[in-house]
Amino acid sequence: MSLLEVENLRVHLPGASGPVTVVDGVDFAVEEGQVFGLAGESGSGKTMSALAVLGLLPRRAQVEGRIIYRGRDLVALREREMRSVRGREIAMIFQDPMTSLHPMLTVGRALSEHLRQHLKLSRADAQRRAVELLEEVRIPDPEGSLRSYPHHFSGGMRQRIAIAVALICNPSIVIADEPTTALDVTVQAGILGLLDRLRQENGLSVLLITHDLGVMSSIADRVSVMYAGRIVESGATAEMMQRPRHPYTEGLLSALPHPEAGDERPLVAIPGSPPAPTDPPPGCRFHPRCTYAVDSCRTQVPQLVEVDARRLACPVDPLAVKV
Amino acid sequence: MSLLELQDVEVTYQRRGRAPVRAVAGASLTIGPGEIVGLVGESGCGKSTLARAAAGLLAPSSGRVLLHGQPIAALSRRARPAREVKLQMVFQDPYSSLNPRRRIGSQLADALRINKLMAPELQRARVIELLEQVGLPTDAIDSYPHQFSGGQRQRLAISRALAAQPEVLVLDEPLSALDASAQAQVANLLVNLCRELGIAMLLISHDLAIVRQIADRISVMYLGVVVESGPTEQLWTDPKHPYTEALIGAIPHADGLGVKPRALRGEVPDPAEPPAGCRFHPRCERAFGKCSAAVPDLISLDRDHAAACWLHDPEQAPQPSPLKDAAGDSH
Repeated sequence: MSLLEVENLRVHLPGASGPVTVVDGVDFAVEEGQVFGLAGESGSGKTMSALAVLGLLPRRAQVEGRIIYRGRDLVALREREMRSVRGREIAMIFQDPMTSLHPMLTVGRALSEHLRQHLKLSRADAQRRAVELLEEVRIPDPEGSLRSYPHHFSGGMRQRIAIAVALICNPSIVIADEPTTALDVTVQAGILGLLDRLRQENGLSVLLITHDLGVMSSIADRVSVMYAGRIVESGATAEMMQRPRHPYTEGLLSALPHPEAGDERPLVAIPGSPPAPTDPPPGCRFHPRCTYAVDSCRTQVPQLVEVDARRLACPVDPLAVKV
Repeated sequence: MSLLELQDVEVTYQRRGRAPVRAVAGASLTIGPGEIVGLVGESGCGKSTLARAAAGLLAPSSGRVLLHGQPIAALSRRARPAREVKLQMVFQDPYSSLNPRRRIGSQLADALRINKLMAPELQRARVIELLEQVGLPTDAIDSYPHQFSGGQRQRLAISRALAAQPEVLVLDEPLSALDASAQAQVANLLVNLCRELGIAMLLISHDLAIVRQIADRISVMYLGVVVESGPTEQLWTDPKHPYTEALIGAIPHADGLGVKPRALRGEVPDPAEPPAGCRFHPRCERAFGKCSAAVPDLISLDRDHAAACWLHDPEQAPQPSPLKDAAGDSH
């Protein structure tokens, strides 16, 4: 049994001309102590799926489907019940730590406020625990840092502090939404190392959301690739990166610079752009951009089916076509 | 003959009540016709400042920027001299560099009108030609920027720069706001424009992996100085500066091998108080005594390949052995 199971999740947001479906029947599972990745370009619905898990969608959003965490369906919870899950059992790290940390609170105050509120620790205990948390995320001079404000730190250090805040209640899952996108590569490597260590040493599970398949490849155990609100392919990361089977996954990988390849390998762009969520094409949503598309792709919605330990929503398998 | 040349450019920002910041502390670059030169570095290294100086948007506090061997005048309240119209710039964010309330056609025609490039009745045909040049449908002429995706907007920004028939394009992070597939489209477009129209490009980016795909030569900047420059493949496979090596090692690979990228210790120091000696030495794993004492010059090691590192000084280096091949041993 997975720690978190999302089944047939649909999210509709209010639009100018009726509801717009931004997540359309998504299934995924986060296993204990693993990093599960949701990949896809902007607008593919990956962040909306994550916000649905935490009940953080805009008030007028409609959510359908089931989100099962330790036997409880989070979709059915009232807001008050959700508060005992959010932050305590499932915490979140956002892309921009400058906006997720309160600029007017010292790091010590930000941490100890949560510790005292959620865990009812005494002032002295909260202080001690705050220092431990900062040590855990490798902030140099943790005691001194308690008196500093977020703007005193660099982007990488701020993201470490945001991770420390997320770890306060010892959650079993952390949702990390593009946690390294705003950072330089040399700093990104450190944050990825930190998440990996927390997973190894503390058994933390991570739901990692990123558009960067390089980041995904270096840390995620399993990946689902989303396109226009649907999952098109899921599987073990290594398999997916080495042998992509959905034309979109294949296209994304060919569009990336491959540092290990020779310089003759050109970037192969996917033609066109993703559809607007208000006007998705019929059939397979990727078909207008797909070089393998056949007639049935234009009319029939491909289902995610089990193929060699992978789940694939494409009747035309590029591997099969090429061989 | 170089088209655009930066000679020992320095840019200092004055700050009220605080020490001035030397954002660019002496950088030299040359770009020939039809050549793409990548300028790579992390945030705060001064690359955008250098780009602005190169495009004449701000005046260097010392050094010179030459276009066709003639010094360019930094932009002032008056119009640019006509010959500097051949030097154009494209910015990072195509959402803020286009006017959201005006149609694409009239925004592109502005460039033609302002530069008095052609009679009004010919402008529409030229605008259509510009749209085709960047691979956009010609009916875009009557659309507004919000009707386009990020990648398409960046193409629009590029087509507006092309309206002036530039010889040199300075592009500041033109790819970093884009998704992977749009990034590849725009990257390929830049290479094609460069090859077909012979436009020289200075491509500023934090992403060494993408720059390697398109640039002919690369300069790596750290804290206001160029620490290494050379032909792309040579710099990539045989980096001579430990910082370049660290940048390459930190790139995550989408190869499914699960290899962790390597982090660089420490952080970029405050440019107002740069470390003495080599500016990289507090973070460098190979630093030795000399590195904190004296500033290494950018010295030529092999034809076009130059690095500013004491390891390559035969009299100073503790071990004369060259740096190991970073790209090869990262697995």
